[in-house]
Formats: sequence, structure tokens, C-alpha cells
Amino acid sequence: MKYVDEYRDAELGRVLASEIVATVVPGRHYKIMEVCGGHTHTIYKHGVDDLLPENVELVHGPGCPVCVIPMGRVDDGIAIARRQEVILTCFGDMMRVPGGSGSFLEAKAENADIRMVYSPLDALRIARENPDREVVFFAVGFETTAPSTALTLKRAKADGVPNFTVVSNHVTIVPPLRALLESPDLRLDGFIGPGHVSTVVGARPFEFIPADYNRPVVISGFEPLDLLQSVHMVLAQLAEGRCEVENQYSRVVPYEGNPAALAVLREVFELRPHFEWRGLGFISHSGLKLSEAYRDYDAELRFGVPGVRVADPKACQCGEVLKGVIKPWECKVFGTACTPERPIGTCMVSSEGACAAYYNYGRFARAREVV
Amino acid sequence: MLVVETDGSGLARCVDPDGNATDVMTDLVGEVAPGEALLVHAGTALTRAA
Repeated sequence: MKYVDEYRDAELGRVLASEIVATVVPGRHYKIMEVCGGHTHTIYKHGVDDLLPENVELVHGPGCPVCVIPMGRVDDGIAIARRQEVILTCFGDMMRVPGGSGSFLEAKAENADIRMVYSPLDALRIARENPDREVVFFAVGFETTAPSTALTLKRAKADGVPNFTVVSNHVTIVPPLRALLESPDLRLDGFIGPGHVSTVVGARPFEFIPADYNRPVVISGFEPLDLLQSVHMVLAQLAEGRCEVENQYSRVVPYEGNPAALAVLREVFELRPHFEWRGLGFISHSGLKLSEAYRDYDAELRFGVPGVRVADPKACQCGEVLKGVIKPWECKVFGTACTPERPIGTCMVSSEGACAAYYNYGRFARAREVV
Repeated sequence: MLVVETDGSGLARCVDPDGNATDVMTDLVGEVAPGEALLVHAGTALTRAA
């Protein structure tokens, strides 16, 4: 398959792996964070980490949008969904995310009208088909997904669809990265930057990482060879004493991003003063709400939400996993009380969650990760 | 995804590698034509595949 097979060539993978071995300094330990959950899944699905030398450690970052949704926001969605007139729509990943009062799936089993959709456009279609109901889209995602919500809202406004609203849980990637870099309990040598977020925002927003924190960043594609090459590029920067943003995923990511997407984001959204992230707490200017021009489409304003902060279960260590402080298998409930079938934490739910990646690809423990 | 049909209103009918068809918003990539490959996320084309 074009765009896939050429990036899964085993022989080229071995060549890149040998170049990585030749680049590292024996005895030095390297910690590289892959920011995006999609990267985490590629790494474990294809065994990319098995090709790396033992002193190169990949640390999983906070780039899984479902994983970072705090429990209180799930409860807000359920409160709206329990209203008789409402059809709540969301991506499939959200259905099993636990809130303080259960999940969307459990609320659906108790007769709340909650439907999975592939895109916000599908939610708008449901609104058109059900003019006597209020259709709410529970929006999650980084800058990759937010343009889709924004374009759908523009269509709803242009067509005068009155019964469509959005709960915006959209977040931005730069503030949590800065928070991680300020964290005293995590020492990182470099970053594998998020590929698909960068198709929208470009590479420039990551320039603060080398400039302010002296760490290299390589924006990466999602196939195994993309990731091996990106690891090599990070290590090469370190070996050569360079520190900059490089774009491995240039076949898709323009350095300046997508100006049309950025324009529609500016039109439809504005930054919240602060937003709560699971495991990371409140981060300033990291969440998006609907702009004044779209306030009529804001479900939080139309219906009101409890807005109650709910503490994570004590047994769950998603916060430490999201910050890269521990590996999923080091969590006390990983694979026992917390499984994809019965998740306690968000990282076990999402198709981009680090715990789900470890569990689904049989990584229950790895001795070499105990450094 | 591959474009199979356009309707001139910023929507394109696209198919994924498994043959599943869906409507995709193409506002962010400009005019597209049948046969073009797009990177699609949540029903929106973010860029053309180079």
C-alpha cells in the first residue's frame, strides 16, 4: 500500500538501527519523549523499541487527547446527556472513559441517548435529521481535531441549524510540553514531536524547546521507519551539539502549518484562562472554548454543567504515565484491576493511550526499562 | 483517503484503504479532484499526500 509499505521496510529498519547504535555514546543514558499517542502505538505495535540500544529510552508523553480528559468533564457530558431533549454525540474512544459518576457507555445503558460518531460533521447530520431534539457534540482533541469541530460549527451557523451545540474539550499541545519541561521530576534529552498536530500548527510553535530548554525536537511521521529515523535525528543533534526543530515528516507537515486551519481556529475558538488536564492539573491557556461569535453554539452555556472537579481514583497512576514518570506496567493496577475491557484510567481506554498500547501488544514488563 | 467524488460545496466523498466511504470536509486544502490522496482527521482533510 502506497505511503505505508515503503515506511515498513525491514532491511531499511535494520540500517537505521545500526546508525542509531553508531550515534550513541556508550554509557550515556538517553531519554526521548514521543509526545503523541499515535507514536506510542506504532512503537509497540511494530517493536521499534526492540531495535534501539539499551541506553536509549523512549518516554511516553501527554499527546493522547482522550487520556487527558479529567473525570469532571465526563460528568459534565453525562449531565447534559441525561436531559430528555438531548442526543449527545462523541467519538468512540470517549464512550468508556470513566467519570466520577460512570462512563458515557454506562449512561447510555441507563437510557441516555448517546451516539458514537466518526466526525463532528456526522453529529451535525444527526441534528438536521432530528430538528425536535438538541444534538450536542462532545468535542475532544488537540489542534489536529479542533479544525474539524470549527468547520462544522461554521456550517451549522451558515445553515442556521439551531439545535446543534458543542462541549469543547479541545486542548493545545504547547502548554503541557512547557509544563513537562518545567517539571523537576523528569529529565528528558529530546522530543519526537507530534506529526499530525504539526500539519495544522507547523513546526514553529516548538522552537521554544531548543531556544528556552536546550532540547532538540524532531517532528515525526507514524510509520516504523519514520520513528527510527526521528530517533536517529534526535541522537545526531545531541552527538553534534546541535539543538533545533527538525521536520522528519516533511511529506505531510509544512514548517508553517496550515494557514487556513489556523484561521478557522482563531475565528471559532478562544483560549480558556486555564483548563484541567488529567494528571497534569490546571494549565494556563491550554484549553479552547467557543469564541463570542459562536456562543449560541456552546452547550456549556445553553445547558449549564455541574463543573465539579473530581479526583482520580487513588489506585490509578495515569497522571504519572502521562508525564512519563512511570511506564504503564509500573502502575499498581495495570493489567489486573485495569484492563481495556474494564478500564480504571483513561490511558487504558483510548486507542492512543500508552497503557492500552502496552497491554494490547503484550508489554507487561520490561526488565531493561528499570534503569 | 482517496477522493472519489466532489460536490462543489467543500465536501468530498472519500474512501479509506479498506473501501469504507465517508464525506470529508475539504475547506482546508482547497479544491480536490477524484483520485487525489488526502490526510484526513475526524472528517476533515488536513493536507494532501505528497
